[in-house]
Amino acid sequence: MAVVKGVLWFVFLYVVPMFIVSSLSEFAPEIFSSYENLLLLFVAIILFFVVASELTSGTIFQHAFNIGKALILMIFIVVALEGGIVALDFQGFQLVADLRIYLAMLLTIDLVGLAKSVLQAINFLSEKAESQLPTPSPR
Amino acid sequence: MRQAIRALGWAIYILWLVIIVFTVTAVYSAFQLGLDFGDWQTSTSEGTVTLTLPFSVENNGFYDIYDLNVTTIVRENNEQLLSSSSTVVPLISSGNKINATHNISISFENMTSASLSRLLFYDADLDMEMSFALRYAGVIPLKIGRNFTAPWGAPLGNLTIGNVAVNQYNSTHVRTTLPFSFENHSFFSLNGTVRTEIMNTLGQQVGGTTTLINVPPQTGYSTQFMVLIPLSGSGFKEARLYFDTSVFSYGPVVMPLG
Repeated sequence: MAVVKGVLWFVFLYVVPMFIVSSLSEFAPEIFSSYENLLLLFVAIILFFVVASELTSGTIFQHAFNIGKALILMIFIVVALEGGIVALDFQGFQLVADLRIYLAMLLTIDLVGLAKSVLQAINFLSEKAESQLPTPSPR
Repeated sequence: MRQAIRALGWAIYILWLVIIVFTVTAVYSAFQLGLDFGDWQTSTSEGTVTLTLPFSVENNGFYDIYDLNVTTIVRENNEQLLSSSSTVVPLISSGNKINATHNISISFENMTSASLSRLLFYDADLDMEMSFALRYAGVIPLKIGRNFTAPWGAPLGNLTIGNVAVNQYNSTHVRTTLPFSFENHSFFSLNGTVRTEIMNTLGQQVGGTTTLINVPPQTGYSTQFMVLIPLSGSGFKEARLYFDTSVFSYGPVVMPLG
């Protein structure tokens, strides 16, 4: 199951985006080709956590990996978008894009994901604790 | 708690959907922008040379473009600021095309005399910074800039006064002939006058003349100034030239006479 999920995520996150990036690279190779390595790193992070989460499914480690994924993705996004101010040189032109609002949107999604993972971990622990309580015997 | 987790899961899906749709449509829209430039036009007025660049922006994307600001900064090689010009287009709606002009004005009147003399007499390369700043889709500020050099042609390039010829005119005066020439390397015409004053070794003006000039761009001009000078005057020391044209007034230019 972990392998199947890993392959599906790989196709969704790497093969399809790489096709788009390669197509765009024909127009502006200086800009888009530099993002191929970042995309590869992003896919590697996602795949690692998807597979790890799947392999540890049904344990608290699954939720720990989900929390870790959310935190690491937040750091990755901030680094990849250079803090929100992206500066590029392209055929003698200097391009500066202020993507801080875009970055905030991405971080919001990750924060919601982090909150969800924390709640799932709490829920997992509470259900586990409840299942270990002695069952009251009928009188 | 399960319902809260489920609600957060849905929120994540919806947010991802919004951001993916926005990203795809924004990138697609960016490739649908059309930017065209017309030919540079030049004009002159009182003390100012103006370069006009017509341009049009066609926004065939999904999103409006706000606060398009075209800015050009012109500097001499020594970083002396010559001009800073901006053109602002507040809004380019989706599906619309706007035509605008960007004016770069170089004022000779407010220029320091050192800058003015460099630009009038010597060709140079001017450093230009041109930038387009805009707010794309209302939320993404973008700035695209480019630095380049532009040649500046001196309007009074190779200004020279040749050897002075002196001939007897009458019993009280001599007629001096001064060969005078320059090359207008600039992109504007020089229309106006050149006033010449001949100074003697005592620093006194002993004669003068005023000549009309009309020199098209990229052409040379040469003439001979004829000046009557009284015989009582001492030897010639220098000629002082005063230019009064539609673009600039400058003088004196002191030229020693051989």
